[in-house]
Amino acid sequence: MLFFATTIDGLQMGLCFAVLALGVYISYSILDFPDLSVDGTFPLGGVVCTILMLRLGIPALPAILLSFFAGLAAGAVTGVLHVKFGISKLLSGIIVMTALLSVTLALTKLLTKTGLTTTIFSFRSENLEGLFSGGASRLLGDSNRDYMILIIELIFVIAVKLIIDLFLKTKLGYMVRATGNNEMLVVSLGRDSGTYKILGIALANGFVAMSGALYSNLYSQYDNSSGSGKVVMALASVIIGIAVFSKIKFMGNTTAVILGAVIYSLCLNYLVLVDTNGIYLKLLNAVLFAIILIFNEKTSGFITGRQKARRGQAKC
Amino acid sequence: MLELRGISKIYNPGTVTELCLFDDFSFKVADGECVSVVGSNGSGKTSMLNIICGSIPVSGGEVLIDGKNINSLREYKRYRMIGRVYQNPAAGTCPDMTILENMSLADNKGKRYGLSFGVNNSRKNYYKEQLSSLGLGLEDKLDAKLGALSGGQRQAVSLLMATLTPIDFLILDEHTAALDPRTAEIIMELTDKIVKEKKLTAIMVTHNLRYAVEYGTRLVMMDKGNIILDKSGKEKQDVKVEDILDIFNKISIECGN
Repeated sequence: MLFFATTIDGLQMGLCFAVLALGVYISYSILDFPDLSVDGTFPLGGVVCTILMLRLGIPALPAILLSFFAGLAAGAVTGVLHVKFGISKLLSGIIVMTALLSVTLALTKLLTKTGLTTTIFSFRSENLEGLFSGGASRLLGDSNRDYMILIIELIFVIAVKLIIDLFLKTKLGYMVRATGNNEMLVVSLGRDSGTYKILGIALANGFVAMSGALYSNLYSQYDNSSGSGKVVMALASVIIGIAVFSKIKFMGNTTAVILGAVIYSLCLNYLVLVDTNGIYLKLLNAVLFAIILIFNEKTSGFITGRQKARRGQAKC
Repeated sequence: MLELRGISKIYNPGTVTELCLFDDFSFKVADGECVSVVGSNGSGKTSMLNIICGSIPVSGGEVLIDGKNINSLREYKRYRMIGRVYQNPAAGTCPDMTILENMSLADNKGKRYGLSFGVNNSRKNYYKEQLSSLGLGLEDKLDAKLGALSGGQRQAVSLLMATLTPIDFLILDEHTAALDPRTAEIIMELTDKIVKEKKLTAIMVTHNLRYAVEYGTRLVMMDKGNIILDKSGKEKQDVKVEDILDIFNKISIECGN
């Protein structure tokens, strides 16, 4: 029974982080930009959504969608630091991530004033459930609310996936892909590749922020430290997804990334079953990621090894 | 008309590795000319192309197009009138995108890259027609990723992409150097066909002396940042590979090799 509950939990968490992974898929896979600002834009989305909902009384769905723009702006800063000022990819991400730590604290302070919370680091509020507490979540009856949450999340994730897929098929999307693939070609086509890089990183962080907003709705709480480790989590999801599922025909990369996020979250949740105190959680998290990377390297090496062997045979 | 006037280019100025490549270098290309440029390594051929395209800044002098100074024009803006094919077949295409997607990207050069669909299906037949002119059977592989093609096939697509939209200049930077002799021959013939069909002004840097002699309307030889041979028209037609080879050997002997 505990195993079953953990699975449901893992699925809920996985679908929430699927949005995060889809964002990082844009920056990491498409633009080849390991973006560390994700650790900052994730809680940023959460706090912006919380303020919009609790202080301004905006309904959950528009609040989540609006938090996208907060991430967009933060991502644009990372992009500009790298493209216009020549700061390395990793450092521009670190700078924005560090700056956002203060920004999110300052924003949370707006909530303490209203007495909604006593600390500026985290708080809980039933009113934050928004997206998952309305009539829709009770369609299947109160006892089945967990399943309904999964369905709402799934609809949300599929919508995000379709939007990203569609965007990548537009001329603008082609240019973003070309920028990550062969920057020189974009220049040859008479366009500034830097613009597309900034755009891509901004969009990626927009989705990351939206995932943060979804997260605060899912657990009806906001936590300033919720961003830590999100880069690793997102990268792991993207890498697992693409390594495992992209070999399946007719499965697009975005679907693979979603599945990767779900699988990784399930693994993490099962780890909690083992490590009930949660002391070694991050360590196990890191080890899991390392195993995945090693496995990924091994399999690709194995495949090329086999191909070599086959080629050798052909020569004989 | 393209003109380099009094160009100087110093690499690593103010350091022990300072190298003055060009000192008061001038070069003119008239519209419709097809110039083959030869010269040993380090003679400044590729640097000249990079200066024209704005990939590297000049230390002094002017780059002019139709009499207008384009020194301050950024690289990507210059490429709106220039098409370039690189030595590396991978440089002119996107390996992770399909042939159709690559062609669509190139076809849109000079227009807006907005939120409309990347592939215009009504143009598909045009792309197929263009690809079939290569004679490599690529018109049936529209959905194949560029990265899965051979170097020669990729270079052929690069060439097609660089010349798909109207351009003023075609820059060929040793574009057959990485290909096997037979494929190089095919690409060279294709280049000649495209340049003649579209009446392009072209500058081709090559190490293949035979190509330099056989193709183009003008032959230029460079050495240590200077032009030491410049033949066009009737004179160019009379040049033989042996003549250039002789000059090449002379230069090398002067250098003490």
